[in-house]
Amino acid sequence: MKKTSGNKIRLGIFVSAGIVLFIVGIYFIGERQQMFSKTFNISGIFKDISGLQIGNNVRFSGINVGVISDIQQVTDSTVKVDMLIDEDSRKFIKKNAKAIIGSDGLMGNKLVIITPGEPGKPMLADNDCIATAQPVSMDEILMKIKVTSTNAAEITGDLSSIIKNIRDGKGTIGKLFMDSVFADNIDKTLVNIKQGAGGFKQNMNAASHNFLLRGFFKKKKKDKDKEKDEKNKN
Amino acid sequence: MTSDSKTIDNKVSTETNTDSENSYKKSLVGFFEDITLLTKFSLRFFKEVFKPPYEFNELVRQSYLIGYKSFPLVAITGFIMGLVLTIQSRPTLAEFGAESWLPAMVAVSIIREIGPVITALIFAGKVGSGIGAELASMKVTEQIDAMEVSGINPFKFLVITRVLSSTLMLPLLVIVADTIAMYGAYIGVNLKGDVTFQLFFSQVFEKLDFSDVFPAMIKTFFFGFSIAMISCYKGYNSNKGTEGVGESANSAVVIGSLSIFILDMIAVQITSLFL
Repeated sequence: MKKTSGNKIRLGIFVSAGIVLFIVGIYFIGERQQMFSKTFNISGIFKDISGLQIGNNVRFSGINVGVISDIQQVTDSTVKVDMLIDEDSRKFIKKNAKAIIGSDGLMGNKLVIITPGEPGKPMLADNDCIATAQPVSMDEILMKIKVTSTNAAEITGDLSSIIKNIRDGKGTIGKLFMDSVFADNIDKTLVNIKQGAGGFKQNMNAASHNFLLRGFFKKKKKDKDKEKDEKNKN
Repeated sequence: MTSDSKTIDNKVSTETNTDSENSYKKSLVGFFEDITLLTKFSLRFFKEVFKPPYEFNELVRQSYLIGYKSFPLVAITGFIMGLVLTIQSRPTLAEFGAESWLPAMVAVSIIREIGPVITALIFAGKVGSGIGAELASMKVTEQIDAMEVSGINPFKFLVITRVLSSTLMLPLLVIVADTIAMYGAYIGVNLKGDVTFQLFFSQVFEKLDFSDVFPAMIKTFFFGFSIAMISCYKGYNSNKGTEGVGESANSAVVIGSLSIFILDMIAVQITSLFL
């Protein structure tokens, strides 16, 4: 008899534990879907929802604040997306907040990202329609990449013809790199400049000893010395 | 002489062919007969389950034996299931740099599929064979007939209680196995990584949905029902002496396990139709 009642207690504990575990699991899943918390409803009209589904998250400042509760095609080019938002977040979402469809990481699920509105504006009311911005779709990005790659192909084509011209010694840069006569001329010019600079130095030396210009050079030397003294003092 | 021996050879081979054909026919007929009898047996269950008297005490005793006594086996299996699945999945996910998806991936595969099916298979092995052997030995030793004579409805007392308790206990065992498997997965994740308990479970519940949990739970009721029903049928209709006891226990496990996979396939098809 005692054994039977002990077995019943054990069975009771086992059954209760199983049911409690199930309820806890259901609670946590339900809580993520805003089932047990106070929520309010908002909606947004999009042209293209890029595969958004019912149950996807709504994110505000990087925090999941709600879920997509319904998606309806309104006209041929507009889709109405209903969102259930946590009541606690209502005070932060202003009337001029904007909703954009984004994705969770590179391969993650689609989600709605709400950007905060300007401070001081009134809060969103229940069943309000939030402004939306069209997201940059993957197709658009691919189109842009295509244009960029076409441009890059043209640029590399031009570059290769320029390099060919340089190799053939055409143009100024081509001559500079490839023409040995041109290089000799530059070499000679540099020698001439060097000689000219030496002669100019001699002329300046002679000028500094000339009585007409001696005063100017002395004044210049004095200013220089003065500047040096001040620097040393500091 | 030669032609005579040829004729005998031909006769023998024809006889062997006829024998094998007959045995195939017999087993095929037996298979369809079994299906008909099993369906009748199940219909009898639905007819009698709501009729009083209710064997409540026997139901509790069977639930204790079928449910509570299976708990350690299911718990160990669940733990190893979670741990091994996590360890095995890690290298593939690591190739994509998606190790952070490990908890969610393991949770979805355990809750949706592996948890219910593996637990049901273990359950079929332990409980199915037990019921099959027990009822078959009762049948062979004429205890079932004795019950009928003494005014107790053996179908109510033996079959209904076992089928009901199995149907109710398997879902509970699956819940416990899934929970323990998630704990095993948590340990598996932390063998080569560093994920806190809270982060692990928040990642698990982030990806789980009601559409993952409810179909998986509903199918476990059917698994439990079919395991017990097949085992009871095999035991209740055993009539080959002591040899039949072993055969009943064996076929209860084999057909019970097969029925789990068939039911699982149907369940997946139905789920994918609606979700």
